[in-house]
Amino acid sequence: MSRVLVVDDEPQIRRALRTSLEAHGYEVQAVGTGEEAVIGAAESAPELMLLDLGLPDIDGTEVIRRVRGFTELPIIVLSVREAQHDKVAALDAGADDYVTKPFAMEELLARARAAIRRAQPGEPLAPAIRYGALEVDLGRRLVTLDGAPLRLTPTEYQLLEAFATNPGKLLTHQWLLRKVWGQGYGTETTYLRTYVRALRKKLGDDAQAPQLIVTEPGVGYRWIAEGTSEAS
Amino acid sequence: MREGSPLSREDPVKAATVASVSTEGDPEGSVRVTLRGVIVALLAPAVATVVAAPVSNTRPEISIAVFMLAVVIAAVAGGLWSGVIAGLLASIIRPVVVEAPLSFRFNDVEDIATGVVFLSVALVVGLLVGQASEERARASRREREARFLGTLSTKLHTGEVPDRVLNEFAEVLMEPFGLSRVQIDASLDGTEVRAVAHAAESAPGGPRTRVQLIAGDAPIGQMIAERPAGGRPFSRDDQLLLEASARQATAALDRARLDARARMAQLDAETNQLRAAMFSSVTHDLKTPLASIKAGVTSLLDPTGHHDERQERELLTTVLEETDRLNRLVGNLLDLARIRAGALTPTRQPAAMDEIVEAVLARMRPRLADHRVTAEIPGDLPDVSVDPVQMDQVLTNLLENAGRHSPAGGEIQVHLLWMNGGVQVRVADEGPGIPADERERVFEAFYRGASHPETSGSGLGLAIARAVIVAHGGRIWIEDSPSGGCVVAFEVPREEERV
Repeated sequence: MSRVLVVDDEPQIRRALRTSLEAHGYEVQAVGTGEEAVIGAAESAPELMLLDLGLPDIDGTEVIRRVRGFTELPIIVLSVREAQHDKVAALDAGADDYVTKPFAMEELLARARAAIRRAQPGEPLAPAIRYGALEVDLGRRLVTLDGAPLRLTPTEYQLLEAFATNPGKLLTHQWLLRKVWGQGYGTETTYLRTYVRALRKKLGDDAQAPQLIVTEPGVGYRWIAEGTSEAS
Repeated sequence: MREGSPLSREDPVKAATVASVSTEGDPEGSVRVTLRGVIVALLAPAVATVVAAPVSNTRPEISIAVFMLAVVIAAVAGGLWSGVIAGLLASIIRPVVVEAPLSFRFNDVEDIATGVVFLSVALVVGLLVGQASEERARASRREREARFLGTLSTKLHTGEVPDRVLNEFAEVLMEPFGLSRVQIDASLDGTEVRAVAHAAESAPGGPRTRVQLIAGDAPIGQMIAERPAGGRPFSRDDQLLLEASARQATAALDRARLDARARMAQLDAETNQLRAAMFSSVTHDLKTPLASIKAGVTSLLDPTGHHDERQERELLTTVLEETDRLNRLVGNLLDLARIRAGALTPTRQPAAMDEIVEAVLARMRPRLADHRVTAEIPGDLPDVSVDPVQMDQVLTNLLENAGRHSPAGGEIQVHLLWMNGGVQVRVADEGPGIPADERERVFEAFYRGASHPETSGSGLGLAIARAVIVAHGGRIWIEDSPSGGCVVAFEVPREEERV
């Protein structure tokens, strides 16, 4: 049974989350302050943290930074739409994902499952993953679409690899730029967009009805395809 | 408190008034002994002596006339003292050259009388000339002062906020008065305001003067003007002109205050009108979904009622839909509040509009499932400097509107194109369209269209869209759609306009 640490200063939200999460088999610890959140993350070793950014004592982003000082525990930020720039800051500080309040429970549960799964240790990524007609073989660095090999530039391949190894996770512009282009990058979003566009085209993904990569304007991208592993 | 910037930049008004009110080279020059005066005073009798010498013995009246002319010329050209000196010299020389060369004496009453006449003429002419030139100088100074006060008045009458007026005033005084520093302290409606202007480089400790600022009858503050060290002391004229300027400044200040009050009153009126519209609209819009939610939930919680699974789902679906509706409305109201508070500042970053449009389309597709959505989106447009989140919101609002006004199965077309050095987005629907006379008003908050008041929108989507687009330096408008219905189009420039 997975343990979830819920951090929100609103008792109603804590109650609603506790009830829903427990109904889905999670063990819930709910706290109302940033201090308690940091302590809870350290002492009860939860498998997931659901964190509201507007806490009475410490700023939510600061909580993420402190927690990231000792654990890679997945953190999903719960935020209101108005705080768009706080969201990006929270993601850049190390949060894994965010869900906008008010959210649908099924969406939160899906994100929670994905975050916990990504954090599962000891389960090496399958060497070849199939997403419908697309097959990505990270072991052999081979990408095929409908069985035919795809020619990707090295940058496009690295970008695809970053996406495929972080399924379901919202990857910020800054994160992707650093991951693919290197530490010196972070603001060159035009490059990133050009390559994402090229990659989408080669993978046959329609940005207006995406099956693989979803754009979060002003924030980043998310790989949404559920992969199935194949024995190679 | 704000510091006025040093007078370094070019300013046509200031340039026009520079040095024009300086009282240097003052009109009293006509009474003072100048080098030119001395030369004229000596030269004129000397020339007269030479001219009159040949005739002085035979025709003494001519010699008198010649000397008289010399005295007049000296008085006109050199002023009072030149005239007097020339008169004295003429009185002494004439008898000498006329009667016995180098015998230094006055012969008779005639010579003395001639001398007295010379001096009188010199005095009269000199005084008249002096007065005339003084008058001239005074007139031109007055003209310059009037011009200065005129430009000052134009300069100050700009509908500015009060403390801007004072800063402007302090700066305008600097060059014409040759000042190194001006400091104004005034109390405006109970607030202490200070305006300071100082020249870029000047030594402190020069002559200074103080002028009271008086509004109506009451003093509201004072101004201290200072010249650079070693500068000319302030003359009485300077002082008077500074006082006149200060009166102008306080008058401008009063105007600015009244303007500000009038603006506030107008804003108040608008706000009240808006508030009234908001109350009726918001009350209805907020209460309706709440009523549905409460009814649904209490029904489900009611121990006496029995719902089958289908009924239960129906009630819960209603609760969910109404929650979403409430959420959108609250979001829009918050945006409106932000617009009204002037807090809707775009956080710009280079962004590809095609990517934003596609992302919104991807997200909106389920909600527009009843319509055919087509899009023409070129992928090679240059980046634009926009707030992607706000653009996302504008597009969401436009698509929601299009969906709401289009009949089921109707087509919604989205076009993206490059026009006028910026990006243009067009959303066309097959709804009933908007009459020409309502096309401006649909962008007003809480306006729902006289022709279709029953539509379920909050009347805020377009108002917010317009506020966002305007904040980006763009424009938004409504056109007829060739397929019936209307097109809502907006344009945003590629770059933020530098002001």
